[in-house]
Amino acid sequence: MVFPFKNKQPKIMKIHLSLLFFLIFSVNSFSQINKDHDSTAIFILDKMADVIGDLQSVTFELDNSTDQFDSNNNIEKQYSTSTISFSGPNKLRVKIEGTNGTKGFWYDGSYLSFYNFDENNYVTLEAPETTLEMIDEMHVNYDFQFPAADFFYPNFTDDMMEQFDSIKFLGKKTIDNEECYHIMATNSELNVQLWISNKTYLLPKHFVMIYKNKSNLQYESTFKSWNLNPDIPDAAFDFLPPPRARLISILKKS
Amino acid sequence: MTKENINFKYILATVLLFIALILPSEIMAQRMGHGASRGGGRTMSRGGGHSMSRPSSRPSNNRATTNRSSSRNKATTRPSTSNRTPSRSINGGHTKNKSRDFSKNKMPNRSTNRATNNKSTRDRSATGDRSSRDKSAPKLDTRNRKTSNVKDRSGNRGNGNRGNNINSGNRRNINIDNSRTVNVNRRNTYVRPSPRRYSRPPYAYGGYRYYCHRPYFYHPFVPFYWGPYYHPWGYFVTSLATTAIIVSIVNDNDDDDDEEYHYENGNYYLKTEDGFVAVQAPVGAEVPDIPDEAEKVEVNNTTNYYYGGAFYEQNKDGYIVVPATAGTIVPGLPEGGEEVKIGDVTYVQFGDTYYQPIQVDGKDMYEIVEVKKE
Repeated sequence: MVFPFKNKQPKIMKIHLSLLFFLIFSVNSFSQINKDHDSTAIFILDKMADVIGDLQSVTFELDNSTDQFDSNNNIEKQYSTSTISFSGPNKLRVKIEGTNGTKGFWYDGSYLSFYNFDENNYVTLEAPETTLEMIDEMHVNYDFQFPAADFFYPNFTDDMMEQFDSIKFLGKKTIDNEECYHIMATNSELNVQLWISNKTYLLPKHFVMIYKNKSNLQYESTFKSWNLNPDIPDAAFDFLPPPRARLISILKKS
Repeated sequence: MTKENINFKYILATVLLFIALILPSEIMAQRMGHGASRGGGRTMSRGGGHSMSRPSSRPSNNRATTNRSSSRNKATTRPSTSNRTPSRSINGGHTKNKSRDFSKNKMPNRSTNRATNNKSTRDRSATGDRSSRDKSAPKLDTRNRKTSNVKDRSGNRGNGNRGNNINSGNRRNINIDNSRTVNVNRRNTYVRPSPRRYSRPPYAYGGYRYYCHRPYFYHPFVPFYWGPYYHPWGYFVTSLATTAIIVSIVNDNDDDDDEEYHYENGNYYLKTEDGFVAVQAPVGAEVPDIPDEAEKVEVNNTTNYYYGGAFYEQNKDGYIVVPATAGTIVPGLPEGGEEVKIGDVTYVQFGDTYYQPIQVDGKDMYEIVEVKKE
């Protein structure tokens, strides 16, 4: 009589455990349901990331408009045009010309140089081995902004899915005589809208970021002049300081 | 009959001529058609004859085809192609979570996902290739490049070890040791807050706010010289004139500082083993007179005198060195300053004092920045 009783206890334990597991899984699945991701949108984002991931080198231009607060808390627009070249996993060249002056980045796999054309001074820093690690590190340490860098992360779609509660496909729209897939991604802070070109390759055409908590400040960019897999000489990514340019120090952000 | 024969011959000749003319272009068209339908690269990699017939000026079309690169490898014309192709991707290729399961995808940490072992080894081999190439063809050497001095505000702020030694480099062509180190004493670069309210929003960077009354206007930092008697910091002399005096320092709370300052014509010297070295003016030093080159600056509704990077207040006994006050505008800065990029702006830094380049009535000047922690 004793044994059956003793045997019963583990059974109850098992039931308890399975209930616990069931609860944990149900809670987990509930948290997944909270995110509303449209499979068409994800498919388009994946295809675009596939195309970008297969590129060996690329050059393109980017027209930006950025909203900033002025001294009276009014929104002030800043415009710039960037010319961006990626080559292989460890070469990057960016030139930014706009209302905030002319600046350039050169990354040759070992060093990153930032040159301010207006001030004729530059900063050269030792940099990580790959372009994306470099972008991450320089952004964290020195607040360097590399335009449209987000699109070049290898897990772009996963990052989007993690960051945004809702990703929706809003249909085909025409921008600049190009048929584009319109995708909107939102969370509590951001509203991001992407227009991905369906002309020849699935490449980004336009995007807008709206900061919901900051008076709906907008960051807007248009991609143009895509040149896929151009043969760029490595020397183009080496920075040669212009005459009388001054190497200056830099303050780390934190 | 003969007419018919001739006619027939003519027709036959015309037909033959027509066929002879048409046939090669048809064959060509077929070949082109094959190429187009199958994809140029693949057709070429299949048949040896085809690839032979193609001029070698189009090798780049076939970089991605593995068949071709392997056959090319045998010929050892382009051995590195097959190795290079995968590593050349600008971001290592698109990686995605196939199951699209969010619970597993909690942390697609960018750095860990990207820095895969494969990639890093591939990268290294690529750089190795490159250095060997560099050896064969002498090029601009960018490997051992001089890098910027990186400054860090966090942590050891104020312990005196950081940024005190400012190497002013080889800019000056005066008969002094160019490799000298100018020691900027942090105690003497303390900035008093501005009594005026700032109407401009501060510039925020890295947890600090930088306040200025006037807008940023960059001009390159060129050390200013205050006439023939002025000696920049670090200037060494073996002996001082008999007119030099030993200055008394008032309001000095630091007990560890028992150094004697010698003052002569607006310059302060510290005694060393071999002689005297010019240093920045110690805050609290009282001197009977300052050079005529000293300029009047308006600080906190009182008149201060500015000479050699030091601020003086006049009292009944003479002049006393006072700390810099934020918002003060000065026309020039002495040697020993360092241009520092702080976010989007470039300031000149002396120890704890930051000077913002500004322009007043068309003249290049500096305003002392008020730095506050957020």
